[in-house]
Amino acid sequence: MSGAATTPSRRPVLPGRGATALRVVVSIAVTLFGLMALTFFIGRMLPLDPVAAILGDNATQEAYEAMRAQLGLDQPIWVQFFRYVGDILRLDLGTALTTGRPVLSDIARVFPATIELATVGIIIGTGLGIPLGVMAAAYRDTPVDYFVRVFGLLGYSTPNFWLGLMGLVLFYATLGWVGGPGRIDTAFQWDVEPVTDLLLVDTAMAGQWEIFRDVLGHIILPASILGFGALAYISRMTRSFMLEQLAQEYVVAARVKGLSWMRTVWLHAFRNVAVQVVTVVALAYAFLLEGAVLTETVFAWPGFGRYLTNALLAGDMNAVVGCTLLIGIIFVGLNLLTDLLYRLFDPRTH
Amino acid sequence: MAMFRPRRFLAAAAVAAALAAPSVTQAATPGNALVMAWNIDAISTFDPAQIGEVVTSELFNNTCDYIAAFDPRDEKKVVPGLAERWDVSPDGQQITFHLRDNLRFPSGEKATAQDLAWSMQRVVKLGFGNAATLTEYGFTKANVEQMITAADDRTLVMKLDKPYPTTLILQAIAANRVGALLDRKTIMAGEVNGDLGNKFLATRTACVGPYNLRQWNAGETVVLEANPNYWDTAPKLRRIIIRHVAEAGTQRLLLEKGDIDIARNLTPEDMQALEKVPGITLSRARMPQLVYWGFNNSNPIFANEKVRLAMRYLIDYDALAKTIMAYDGVPRASFVQLGAFGALDEKQGQPFSLDLARAKQLLTEAGYPDGFETTLIFGTLPYSGPIAQHIQANAAKVGVRIRLEQMANAQLFARHRGREFQTAMLAWQTSVPDAQGNASRLIANPDNRAEAKLTQYPAWRHAFQSEAANATVAAALLERDEAKRAEMYYQLQRDMMQSGPTAIMFQTIQVAGIRSNVRNWLWHGFSTYYALASKD
Repeated sequence: MSGAATTPSRRPVLPGRGATALRVVVSIAVTLFGLMALTFFIGRMLPLDPVAAILGDNATQEAYEAMRAQLGLDQPIWVQFFRYVGDILRLDLGTALTTGRPVLSDIARVFPATIELATVGIIIGTGLGIPLGVMAAAYRDTPVDYFVRVFGLLGYSTPNFWLGLMGLVLFYATLGWVGGPGRIDTAFQWDVEPVTDLLLVDTAMAGQWEIFRDVLGHIILPASILGFGALAYISRMTRSFMLEQLAQEYVVAARVKGLSWMRTVWLHAFRNVAVQVVTVVALAYAFLLEGAVLTETVFAWPGFGRYLTNALLAGDMNAVVGCTLLIGIIFVGLNLLTDLLYRLFDPRTH
Repeated sequence: MAMFRPRRFLAAAAVAAALAAPSVTQAATPGNALVMAWNIDAISTFDPAQIGEVVTSELFNNTCDYIAAFDPRDEKKVVPGLAERWDVSPDGQQITFHLRDNLRFPSGEKATAQDLAWSMQRVVKLGFGNAATLTEYGFTKANVEQMITAADDRTLVMKLDKPYPTTLILQAIAANRVGALLDRKTIMAGEVNGDLGNKFLATRTACVGPYNLRQWNAGETVVLEANPNYWDTAPKLRRIIIRHVAEAGTQRLLLEKGDIDIARNLTPEDMQALEKVPGITLSRARMPQLVYWGFNNSNPIFANEKVRLAMRYLIDYDALAKTIMAYDGVPRASFVQLGAFGALDEKQGQPFSLDLARAKQLLTEAGYPDGFETTLIFGTLPYSGPIAQHIQANAAKVGVRIRLEQMANAQLFARHRGREFQTAMLAWQTSVPDAQGNASRLIANPDNRAEAKLTQYPAWRHAFQSEAANATVAAALLERDEAKRAEMYYQLQRDMMQSGPTAIMFQTIQVAGIRSNVRNWLWHGFSTYYALASKD
């Protein structure tokens, strides 16, 4: 027997949109709490010693015990957990052992570099990946299709680390077309007034075009390499979505009506895959934001991926937990954004 | 389906390529600045009570002067620093340091002996790793305020509980970071919960030195700026800029291109290639750091000294020196580093060679004719893995089956400190050019009980205790006759190479790739002297 049959006049507690919003908020809260619990307990299980990391190799046992108590590590695990949740709710992620600064300010410092790199990377990846994917589908089994597929395969399979070093040897050391590792030349380092910490934005806002060109010269190679990986993913997925659409009868009908092939592809078929492509692009962007450790290492890019990796290697659990939470928030946030875009683009969800 | 139109496709591709085409300007390094590429991930604080690794030590040495200093051209010689002279009492138990008159902090305040006494006392009171530098010589939380005092603004009096060799005290304390003169007023203004400014100093310095720390962005850059009020000759270069570049190949490209002046983390392959590049030279400095294979003596197998000796014959020192360690170290089996007082010379300090037959014989005598199984844990130093594999391969030939476990350094240190290992490969660095530096830690162990937890002693971590060795270390420390003292260390080294808790393998070397327009780059195992460097 259904509930509807027994309580036919019962009305929902919240109207439709309110209930949906509440569901989303609860879902996000549960996800983030789960992430917090997971990172906390994994952190406690790892055989790393934060006390030794702070005190150094020479510290006496007396100093060791005192620091352990100061960090609260002598308390029962559940007490530690609730303190940790309480601190996070107050936006206090603790102090990073590796930098001696609050984790939140560390993340605020390194994340803009990654956002800038990932954003330029995703612009390149999307700007080239979508047209290539569409063209590969539109010209299926022609040299264009073969080229895009092989190109995509290379993007998937070539290690970023190697690609980065080769790129530096060719475009920086040999041809001198791009700037070297780092975000900006030493000569300009003190000339940019940080506003957003996105150097391209800050220099453009200040009208410092010479420095803007320098910053662009530095970012273009690592962003292209990251974009290459994203391009491979986006183009292959776009091709796959497009092939499905191009096999539909409405495409034949459009052609019979006299529409050109390109208009049919872009105005009819592509419009129907746009929602799926948005999801793919959002996922690719999330992966780039999560940090590209190897690319950041090769290009001496002071970003989020390197920060997280160093924290992991040094057993700096405050920083690891802070970064993991941020990654969780990025994925949850982009998922939410994708959902909203679905609602915007797909009339069936209205 | 429409036909493929190559022209239209190529045109689109050209537009895309044009959009992505970079446009750059490139700048050489500024003439008044020294630009270095270095992996500076390890920096976590600038508090002299806490600093414990090479990068921060070097930066601190160049931002904060100490009571005395190591001579840039002779690492064993101590020369005046903040103190222009010192007197030693006849019984050798009191040293009076006379400070210079023109010492000022960056804040403009006059720096006094009271500040210096406070700076040294806080190291002991805080109890971080560097407190051991002072507690080893009898200073304790309870007595340090009586033992280190300021007689007046320019006179610091240091009393000692025993008549230690004055040279050793000057090297170990006066020329060490615990002898830095900190700006008490500024630091205490930033005190949090009675931390004596530990949090304040995590990201800044406040002391008297040739450079001021202008900027430290973790994992990105460190900038030092010349101190305009420096008491000594002003530094020749206005700025020292250290760019964080973790990847050695990237450092090499930057150096070849001229975007940096000095590369600090090159691989042997990079160094080999750079030796042939015009305009670039390699500069080497021997470090007071030993790479060793340590054995846990609480394990019955390694409690047997014949087993430990057998392990030494599994190491092909010469082959490793020519290959894996070609640019990273020199063979060394003695626990005293080359260059230190009391060190055996190169030949006597490394008498071993690969000898599988001898190793097999020793194992048989020890009761292990068919070998045994064990583990070797090691960290992420670039040469650790290849050396571990080398040992594993040779050990297998005499029946010793070694399981290798690589781990993050933090995990390795935790396992080592907790005696949770059978064998481990690590490096240990002393802060004094004197045999006592390593004898007191790698050999001496005052209390071997597990509950004693003397984790600051590697000898304790290896569960090694020899009453005879303890007695020799204690006697040598107070021997006033230098020749006799040296002889005691020579004998101890010979004994420990046969029966000690560790197979010392290499003394490390640091190598920097330097562009030829950099002049007077002076360094040794205890300091690097930025203030003396200049550029054409």
